[in-house]
Amino acid sequence: MKKKVIVACGGAVATSTIAANKIMELCSEYDIDVEICQIRISEIESHLAGASLIVTTTKIKRDYGVPYVSGISFISGIGEAQTRETILAILKA
Amino acid sequence: MVKEMMNVIMNMGASSLLPTVVILLSICLGVKVGRAIYSGLMIGAGFVGIGLIVDMMNSELGTAAQAMSERFGLTLNIVDVGWQGAAPMTWASGIAAAAIPITVIVNVFMLWRGLTKTVNIDIWDIWHMAFTGAVSIVATGKLWAGILGIVVHAVVVFKMGDLWAPWIGGYFELTGLTVPHGTSACMAPIACLVDLIIEKIPGINRINFSVDKLHERAGIFAQPAVVGGIMGSGVGLLAGYRPDGAFSLGVEMAAVMVLMPKIVKCIMEGLMPLSESMKRILSKRFSGGRFYIAVDPSVLLGDSQVITAGLIFIPLTLLIAMVQPDNQVLPFGDLATISFFIAITVAVHKGNLFRILISGSVIMYITLWISNQTYLWVTELGKNSGTITGDLPVAALDQGGSPISYIYVQLFEWKNVTGFVVVGSLYLVCMIVAVYYSHNQQSEAE
Repeated sequence: MKKKVIVACGGAVATSTIAANKIMELCSEYDIDVEICQIRISEIESHLAGASLIVTTTKIKRDYGVPYVSGISFISGIGEAQTRETILAILKA
Repeated sequence: MVKEMMNVIMNMGASSLLPTVVILLSICLGVKVGRAIYSGLMIGAGFVGIGLIVDMMNSELGTAAQAMSERFGLTLNIVDVGWQGAAPMTWASGIAAAAIPITVIVNVFMLWRGLTKTVNIDIWDIWHMAFTGAVSIVATGKLWAGILGIVVHAVVVFKMGDLWAPWIGGYFELTGLTVPHGTSACMAPIACLVDLIIEKIPGINRINFSVDKLHERAGIFAQPAVVGGIMGSGVGLLAGYRPDGAFSLGVEMAAVMVLMPKIVKCIMEGLMPLSESMKRILSKRFSGGRFYIAVDPSVLLGDSQVITAGLIFIPLTLLIAMVQPDNQVLPFGDLATISFFIAITVAVHKGNLFRILISGSVIMYITLWISNQTYLWVTELGKNSGTITGDLPVAALDQGGSPISYIYVQLFEWKNVTGFVVVGSLYLVCMIVAVYYSHNQQSEAE
């Protein structure tokens, strides 16, 4: 089944594009069928339906009731391997 | 032979120059040929697309804004294309391709000499530095002034990275990162001065309020489509259009707001392979606790106080634009991402909304004032790069309203000297206070 991943940042352009591409690569590497939904933080609420995971490239404090992973490491390169593993664990479950 | 090749490159036309350079540079850095060509073409697609959108926006909204201004005796007749318009214009200019190696060299040199701790791995935001170079070439016609402009701006940016790092690691809890780019970093020194003054006024210095839930309730009004729809319809009605005409302008402007970032995304995607190679090379050399990794300001836009302030500043910026004497610039393209201007300001004031409103108003006032001084350069830049074709001028709040670009170019120009001296010395004072604040913040953290 296709899994829906919400990738969000402040402007929905710069950083989320990087994170979205990294998640796409990761998923094709591990044969996980995903649908990436790249939006702004403020739009998350209206796209929640059917989402398996939320990744944001900025810190959010709000709980949307969907597993959440910070994607800041995709931007900075610090701790990227760990973020990849956390995401894999959630999407494989 | 070399001369002929140079001629071919110089005559290439703006929108194909950067794609060519990116394809060649990517291949040199080990990106696969197919991927490199794809990236180059995506950049080209972004340039062509943004040209179509900006032209449509300017002819429709620009015409309506002029009609509105005539009816009400206003002067708001130049549309702000926003960063989504200004960045592609800059990237399509001849100097932008050179800006990538120039800023990398400046950064590595400063790191090597211990002059900065900021490591820039972010190729996209080089456009801010390239903008200073590009407009100084437009204003002076001198290539060396453009190259020097990029170098000067780059030095300022990397020092800004060191300056703001204590807040990025502190208030925003993004340890090891910093945000030196764009309006967020270059406007925040103003917040430091405002904070210092407020601290000295008894009574006023105790005012502190914050609105936490506002963006959850009113968040829909910050959506690009809604901002575009309201602005378009509003300006249409004020211009004396019939309601159906005003609404269709609203729909068109909603389309502009929604489509612009999607098109800009093509250019960003095209720059990614290059960005990734650079990140790999630089992070191998400069990593660990001694350095700050410089990232795009949008990492700050998820903070709830930043979102709230961004929401309030949509109408507030329009209000400032209306009351500012002789202001000609109608804020539009930057409205949905107005929080870029105040993100670090929020951290300087520790989320105190009262102070954010004061600082932010000063920041938007200065931004608007500067963008009035720079719109001719921005328009010329847009024309040279083929982004705009009509007769209507354009302005850009983001980067077109930046004190750094303005002060640098003005050193060659000396127009409106009084204004320049006022803004220049005010900014200098702000910078000094910012350095003092940054030291305090740093020692507080330790």
